[in-house]
Amino acid sequence: MTDLSVSAGPIVSARGLSKSFGRKQILHNLDFDIPAGRIYGLIGHNGAGKTTTLNAMLGLTSYEGTIRVLGEDPFARRAQLMENVAFISDVASLPRFLRVRELFALLTNIHPNFSQEKARQFLEGTDIRPEMKIRTLSKGMIAQLHLAVVMAIDAKLLVLDEPTLGLDITYRKRFYRRLLEDYMTEERTLVITTHQVDEIEFMLSDIMFIRDGSLILHMQMETVSEKFTQLVANEPETQAQARALNPVYEETRFGQTVFIFDGVARETLAPLGRLSTPTISDLFVALMQRPTANPERAR
Amino acid sequence: MKAFSALVHREFIEHRGAFLIAPLVLVGVVFALTLLAFGVDRLDTRMTGQLSFVVPTWVFEAGYAGLASGWLAYLGFVLFFYCADGFAADKRNNAMLFWKSMPVSDFKVLLSKITAALTILPGAVFGVALVSLLILFGVTYVTTLMAGLGSPELLGSIVVIFGQMSLVFLVVLACGLLWFLPYMALVGAMGSVVGRWAIPLALLLPTVLSALEWVTLGGRHPFATRTWDYLTYRSSLPLSADHLDRVFEGQEPFNAMLFVTDFLQKFDWLQVGIGAVFAVAVLYLASEYRRRAPAN
Repeated sequence: MTDLSVSAGPIVSARGLSKSFGRKQILHNLDFDIPAGRIYGLIGHNGAGKTTTLNAMLGLTSYEGTIRVLGEDPFARRAQLMENVAFISDVASLPRFLRVRELFALLTNIHPNFSQEKARQFLEGTDIRPEMKIRTLSKGMIAQLHLAVVMAIDAKLLVLDEPTLGLDITYRKRFYRRLLEDYMTEERTLVITTHQVDEIEFMLSDIMFIRDGSLILHMQMETVSEKFTQLVANEPETQAQARALNPVYEETRFGQTVFIFDGVARETLAPLGRLSTPTISDLFVALMQRPTANPERAR
Repeated sequence: MKAFSALVHREFIEHRGAFLIAPLVLVGVVFALTLLAFGVDRLDTRMTGQLSFVVPTWVFEAGYAGLASGWLAYLGFVLFFYCADGFAADKRNNAMLFWKSMPVSDFKVLLSKITAALTILPGAVFGVALVSLLILFGVTYVTTLMAGLGSPELLGSIVVIFGQMSLVFLVVLACGLLWFLPYMALVGAMGSVVGRWAIPLALLLPTVLSALEWVTLGGRHPFATRTWDYLTYRSSLPLSADHLDRVFEGQEPFNAMLFVTDFLQKFDWLQVGIGAVFAVAVLYLASEYRRRAPAN
């Protein structure tokens, strides 16, 4: 077993990470660090470069620039790295010809950090039985099984790329609750992408917004609430005053005008209307519409 | 090693339909038909009529050789399709990302596939073939008993024949697999890159190579080149038939040890070695393609 020990350094470190497919550049010089013990949300439109970024982290694609995961070059040493990294990139990717017990038996021999006992424990309370063939399981059950498999791997980094795509709300909620309660520890790092941003907001410690292959926001959730403010202003006069403070976003909803501000003191905004912290989805919509939201470099 | 064995086992689980279940079903159906034929008094009359005119032991030797040849043909057929299709199965089954999340390299995965094609998969067919041959011998001996030709000496003889012929079958099978290893690896490597298109490409490639030599270096026609001659030589098992010729001419009785010794001594081991190096090289190139190709 390769010992990819994590010291005080970041779990993932990217510098000038770029990727092109033919003439089309997908990623543009990304710089970021992901420290240990954090839960990162990587959020962006379809085609923004989220999956390509994750694939570069997982050694599934070549790239320009440098990226180190647990101190290793993932493209050169994917096999070794996978002893300490687990990922779900597609809920339907489990080998469908196997029975559940066959899958566990194979993984016990293939993966040095997989615990069959843990996997069986995670499946307790579900309808999944060891004798079942994976091809006979419903999409939700396959997601549960896949989650049980990755949670039974004692990994330092878990990457989830749209892990709940196509699942109903019950399964999605159960999926994330299980992940948070049974898996996450201070030593483990989670990177997750999903379009259902609001459903994972409660568990995130950091967010990264990616647009057209560039990082436009990278900060801790605590900083988001300090830096961004949402204002609801109903009167034309207060709305005019709000516009004078250069909001990053303005929208009228059900007769109310909503503004989002970046770096404007709450004391300045308080007299103009009702203040709150924007949700991640509101912030996402706001920031995706302007050239650059946050020039912050890698921390 | 544990992980590699598990990967080979995975291949068996995935492809046991073609290499174990289908042959077992085939044997079961043929056995059931045989019993049915006996049940309606159709088979025993014809066989006893034939058996009364031949040397009983020859029936067993010829029967074994015929049925074993049939199984070798079946194995060649399913191995070809396994290599063309099984090497691309992870992608076709949408399971590539799952296997890429395991701590095993792409080269190791492809090596496990070719190892399965050399060991457990033909081993399963060989096992079923032995069962079918046992049934064949059993049915034939019962038939000779019914015809009044059975005796303890004949039973002893056919046990010896079964042992000798099984040894020959095993040696020919093992050498055949080693001989055709480069073809299996090439088809598997092409399958890793182009999926099922490897099937027509595998048939087209020799012609293209030979035509290329004809175009660049000359020759009477595209099929009169050194490439074509070499591929023709490499496409058939170099079987030494000296002992078999003497057996068929009645000069000596069949002796498995003589045949095996002669066969192994005259086998082209240099070509087997070259083929093994070629196989490792093409599988490495295919693994590099697999490593770089988009997994999703």
